[in-house]
Amino acid sequence: MTPEIGFASLISLFIVGAIGSLFFRNNDKLANRWQSFFAITGSLTGIFFSISQLISGKILAFAFAIPGFPLLSLSLYIDAISAFFIFIISLIALMCSIYGIDYIKHYYGKYDLGALGFFFNAFIVGIILVVSASNAIFFLIAWETMSFASYFLVIYDHHDKENVKAGFLYLIMTQVGTVFIMGAFLLMYKYTGSFDFRTIQANAGLIPVLAKNLIFVFALTGFGIKAGIIPLHIWLPAAHPAAPSHVSAIMSGVMIKSGIFMMIRVFLDLIQPAPTWWGLTIITIGAISSLLGVLYALTEHDIKRLLAYHSIENIGIILLGVGSALTFSSLNMPGLALISLVAALFHTLNHATFKSLLFLSAGSVINQTHTRNMEEFGGLIKFMPQTALFFLIGSMAISALPPFNGFFSEWLTYQALFQGIAVLSPIGKGIFMLAAGSLAFTGGLALACFVKAFGVTFLARPRSEEVEHAKESSFLMRLGMGTLATLSLLFGIFSGYLITAMENIGKSLAVFKNMPAITEASTGQGLVLKNNFSSVSGFAFFVLFLIVMALVYYVTKHLIYKEQKIVTGTTWDCGCDLGPRMEITATGFSRSIILIFKKILQPSIEHEIEYVTTDNPYTPKSKTVILGINDIHYSYIYQPLQAIIKKSSSYVKKIQSGNVNTYIAYIFIALVVTLFLAL
Amino acid sequence: MSIVTLKILLEIMFLTIVFLHISKKNYDAAIAYGIQSFCVVLILFNSFQETGNILMLFIVLLTLVVKVILAPTFFTRLVRKHDLNISINTYLNISLTLITVVILTAIAHSSKLLPLTTIIPANQTLLALSLSVMLLALFLIVNRQGAILQIIGILSFENAIVAFTVFAGLEQSAALQFGIIFDIVIWITIATTFVSMLYKHFGTLNVTSIKNLKE
Amino acid sequence: MKFFILLIQILFVPAISPLCLGIIKKLKAKFQNRQGASIFQPYNDLRKLFNKDEIISKDASWIFKIAPYIIFTITLIIGASIPQFTSFLINNYTGDLLFTIYALAIGTFFLALAGMDIGSAFGGFGSSREMTVSALAEGGFVFSLLTVALINGTSNLTKIPAADILSHKQFLLSLALAFVGFVLVMLAETCRFPYDNPATHLELTMIHEAMILEYSGKKLALLEWASANKLVIFAILGANLFFPFGIAQTATLGALAIGIVALLLKILFFCFMIAFIESTIAKYRFFRLPGFLMLSFILNIVAIGLIYLI
Repeated sequence: MTPEIGFASLISLFIVGAIGSLFFRNNDKLANRWQSFFAITGSLTGIFFSISQLISGKILAFAFAIPGFPLLSLSLYIDAISAFFIFIISLIALMCSIYGIDYIKHYYGKYDLGALGFFFNAFIVGIILVVSASNAIFFLIAWETMSFASYFLVIYDHHDKENVKAGFLYLIMTQVGTVFIMGAFLLMYKYTGSFDFRTIQANAGLIPVLAKNLIFVFALTGFGIKAGIIPLHIWLPAAHPAAPSHVSAIMSGVMIKSGIFMMIRVFLDLIQPAPTWWGLTIITIGAISSLLGVLYALTEHDIKRLLAYHSIENIGIILLGVGSALTFSSLNMPGLALISLVAALFHTLNHATFKSLLFLSAGSVINQTHTRNMEEFGGLIKFMPQTALFFLIGSMAISALPPFNGFFSEWLTYQALFQGIAVLSPIGKGIFMLAAGSLAFTGGLALACFVKAFGVTFLARPRSEEVEHAKESSFLMRLGMGTLATLSLLFGIFSGYLITAMENIGKSLAVFKNMPAITEASTGQGLVLKNNFSSVSGFAFFVLFLIVMALVYYVTKHLIYKEQKIVTGTTWDCGCDLGPRMEITATGFSRSIILIFKKILQPSIEHEIEYVTTDNPYTPKSKTVILGINDIHYSYIYQPLQAIIKKSSSYVKKIQSGNVNTYIAYIFIALVVTLFLAL
Repeated sequence: MSIVTLKILLEIMFLTIVFLHISKKNYDAAIAYGIQSFCVVLILFNSFQETGNILMLFIVLLTLVVKVILAPTFFTRLVRKHDLNISINTYLNISLTLITVVILTAIAHSSKLLPLTTIIPANQTLLALSLSVMLLALFLIVNRQGAILQIIGILSFENAIVAFTVFAGLEQSAALQFGIIFDIVIWITIATTFVSMLYKHFGTLNVTSIKNLKE
Repeated sequence: MKFFILLIQILFVPAISPLCLGIIKKLKAKFQNRQGASIFQPYNDLRKLFNKDEIISKDASWIFKIAPYIIFTITLIIGASIPQFTSFLINNYTGDLLFTIYALAIGTFFLALAGMDIGSAFGGFGSSREMTVSALAEGGFVFSLLTVALINGTSNLTKIPAADILSHKQFLLSLALAFVGFVLVMLAETCRFPYDNPATHLELTMIHEAMILEYSGKKLALLEWASANKLVIFAILGANLFFPFGIAQTATLGALAIGIVALLLKILFFCFMIAFIESTIAKYRFFRLPGFLMLSFILNIVAIGLIYLI
């Protein structure tokens, strides 16, 4: 099977799945089976295709000019990085489709499942084409397909008005992003004369410096809106929770990475060579995004919004890798640039894995408890033990705890930043140090946030009655989650191999060809940096951990005081009756951190006290504390912008008089003026 | 026909459009439009004579029927049915209107628009005149507040364009003229129905009061 | 021979840690003009706890039951992975700087979860405070170790003591600043003054104790032991990374003996320092603590900056 046929079958499977679902709109079960079948087979094809592409190392280039449209051509260019991203897309789509088979059963009878299948498959096709397209117009068509399909998926549950509002915000932001992207491509067209990516790359020297910088700003803004960098992120926490959970997983795990992919493609591939300040800007944006993302995540008690803010944080971490790659390559240090790029790529893979895992488990929990509010969860570990285990693995992975995969990609990012601190100029050193500092704090704060998320959701006693009726997720849902959890562990343990393999992927970019190997998978599955700066081994740790823990357990349980009795009692309650209100709440858990960072987060606190009798202030009946947090970007940037636009629109509205004569007068005057000017 | 005859026909068209600007009765406006269309028919007949295309003769007859006979009849019937004879409302008063007419004619004959009017240098005066009729027809639509005169303005505009294309030597295909006729027929039927509906709903054809739609 | 050294390396930390706790308590008692318990009392406490029965809350899940084992295992592994009294045992697997920090974070993670698992108010806010302090301490921790790593050109902790510190005279100021930063973080992570009072069980003053309040019997013993291990790990890191004098460079018996004695003396110095701090200052208000951690972070940044300015 040649690669072309492989790719064509990949795309056609999804298209057939999409269009076919529309025919089954009246039969929920058939629609479910049809869309899931094609999504699963499509994803499997995608995985095989991408792996075979990566192993063979060949580039799939295909161009088909459409007669009558000179600028648009169906051209594809799938090099190693595109194949890598197709692998990530297919992997996550596979797991989410498996999960989705049982998940969308709760939409039976309420919404149109055929439409869901159509948009879901169209969405995946859109993302795959986005990472494979090699012509700017074809790329924009794929980009818009992806955006619109995801818009319809976000508003799928339209009985809830909040979802519709979130979808609208998402649509506006993504269209604004497309405008900026178009601007960047038009600038590239103007100076290189072509919309084709390969031609642009070859002629990149023709672009003058000012235009290049403008292209950088436009592309960063446009792709940044999709990726969700601060301050362009306000759509993310609204849209990701609104979509169905298996779609949120794909949106968060894969779609926002398409922004990262295009940034890598444009900045590291198309318009090289790049000035140093580009890389430093991206690093600064990455540092700010990661810190603010995790701080806002700490304030959330809607579990899906919390996960959405963590996506922003991890995008910040990936951008740290991309930014350092750009900085190093602009300073002619391709070895370090390669490490940084590999770190970014590996973190992309890892984040896709554990973020989808987290979203899927959150989806199971929400399915059973019918609320997204964490303050109503609690004690779910007894009702949904396996889902809890998967969420725990996801939490450990995202908090960068070894031996899971999150640790190793953050480790590599740190190494890149450390090298930068060691070798760059003072300004570079300063920025890299602040980036490393933000990475350190982000890691700590993320850990705190996931202790809160896992603890409040699954541990202790139930906080509401809905929880007591919760049941474990079905087998297929557990299969999807379980595979992702196992992959998190495996990617971490075998990170040595994976990273060395990814070096070859990074080398497919022209900037890095002919580089000697930087990393090496040593004996014991370790990962060694070639200049002997550092090394780490996930496999050794994992094995060591299991052996020592087994030993400790055995010795403690069976050798020391074998006759120990373990009695079950109640938690120490100081003599009061234990109730669910005595447990820590999500808000209470993060209150300390919120108050420490109150200059940034600007929380508002209201106290209300209700007394037993009005003349005795010493016996309060109840006290309510309301802690409110608004995203400061919304109140300081977007709302004023909105007000300005509204005001200027109402000024301009005055030319719309509603009178036919005025309109024709406009035409008349325009005609006379044009005649004068043209002749 | 000689240039002189054509020039006279065109001048009659010019006079009708000026008359439309100052007319106070819809009935007179409809008759003026009929005269204008008759001039256009004669111009088209001239082009038939020059090309000898039998289809053109057919088109000429058709134009005669539709534009000279049917259209004014429609309008007069409409006027009589709803008693809409009076239409004096314009945005600019009569003297300003006439001053604008003079200015627009001057623009059309000016040197600025020379490239347009010298497409065929021999027909320069003819082209300039047709161009001025075009501009005046547009101005009629802008200036008038009554719906019927605006419709007549659009039709005169179309007449002027036909005249301009004939004199500019652009290809006279029968299909083109047939398309124009077909379009006019449909347009007139729709417009008259629309106008009667407007009148029934609003009680007036004055566009300034019709702007209640905007609210 | 090497096997013997490895064995000592593995057993050193868990063997010594209760003794360190005992020494600190004895020193504090002496400062307070008391006799105090014997320095071997913590060993007796551990033995007592190991032989007791347990009560486990019915709200607790398997996380509560498994957390002590995980935490203790982590301290054992990290204790064996860091450079102790030799500089020739190179650990390429788990000796990395970042690995040490994040592996210790695994322990914090599970302890916080165990604190929340029982659903009591103490456990909940104990976890909340612990995570706040730990989150803010990460920055200082990474950067203080990073300073040493950058000076020595490697982030593998076991390779650092081999370099002769006296050859780095120009970096002495950086090392001093980094050491101060390290001490501030060490006090935070090991739950000592001014962050946490290890001797209290009052609601307002406990962080670590709040999380382990519900444990009893063997699990409590493991947790107490693990916390002592952590203290010794930090002391060893501070001793060997910043003052690697007397460390055994060769595998001869004499060098090893000197190495072990030097290490014990350095740990003793740290115990004395901690006892001194705990006897002279009070525990600070919770919202003053982030200030210290930020101070540690900034000192370390200045230290790194100084490396390259000179």
